[in-house]
Amino acid sequence: MTEKERPMSEQESLALITEMIQKAKSHFHENGTSAILWGSVIGFCGIFSFLRHLFDWNTGYFDIWYLALIALIPQLFIAIRERKRRVVKTHMEAAIDAVWTVYGISIFALMFYLNVVPSISEGFFAADNTELLIKNLATGEARHWKAITFSQSSLLLILYAIPTMVTGIAKKFKPMIIGGIICYVFFIASCFTTVTYDWLLNGLAGIFNWLIPGLILRNKYNKAKLAQHV
Amino acid sequence: MFKDLDPILHSQLRLAVISLLISVKEAEFTFLKEKTNSTAGNLSVQITKLKDAGYVDVTKQFKDNYPQTICKITPKGIDAFDIYVKNLQEYLKSPLS
Repeated sequence: MTEKERPMSEQESLALITEMIQKAKSHFHENGTSAILWGSVIGFCGIFSFLRHLFDWNTGYFDIWYLALIALIPQLFIAIRERKRRVVKTHMEAAIDAVWTVYGISIFALMFYLNVVPSISEGFFAADNTELLIKNLATGEARHWKAITFSQSSLLLILYAIPTMVTGIAKKFKPMIIGGIICYVFFIASCFTTVTYDWLLNGLAGIFNWLIPGLILRNKYNKAKLAQHV
Repeated sequence: MFKDLDPILHSQLRLAVISLLISVKEAEFTFLKEKTNSTAGNLSVQITKLKDAGYVDVTKQFKDNYPQTICKITPKGIDAFDIYVKNLQEYLKSPLS
């Protein structure tokens, strides 16, 4: 726009408003790095856990899901870099960021629940001079049963679906909507499968929810960047 | 009887800036410069006018040792834009337009 401005007609004003709103909407900066990171980590951990259960691999004390904790470090760097690079923040982006933050807190809250509640429950049983027993109907042998939450993976799958669906619907980004729907389908399936296959569903959910949409976003971002430089 | 269009907003660059800011939570000066295709000097002058009218909030800070200017529309700016658009629609609906 030039230094000296000529008077605008009403039609020109309206056209300018429309053009600027479109320009603000079309600004594209999502490069999918976080989605690729988490899709890869959850996908790998889920499939590894499935194979470990299936083939009875002994990994000692090392739990592959520690990788999800380690992935918080690169995520922190990604978040800082994204914040530095971001020149505009839309209302929708602010809302979606809040949804993902709440999701992150909820995942850790669920992990806390799954790890703490069983032993606390056993403590309550012990305080009442009771314990959970499991009986082998064939031999009649009864032994102590460690309290657990059944089909833990199903709970994770519901949680995975929430921010993915919200982002997909809000941004009208079909790969994430499809990812969210797949996640709900996996959730229903996981209610009927053993723990071994629950892990497989968990890994596949990571791939469909985040890795594939993330790669599509990266591709779009690269194309948009290329178009800017042409 | 038509109401006069707000002179603060009825200027090409200022209207462009407000239209961009109404669509986002906040934007950096560089984003506004790129989208409005304006010069830094002219844009700075027009943003100051919008700020003086109470239509935008301007925050200056440092990012990686470089000055960074973040602009955000105020509730007063949103109201002014709303009234401006309504008046504009009245003009456009009139048979004289």
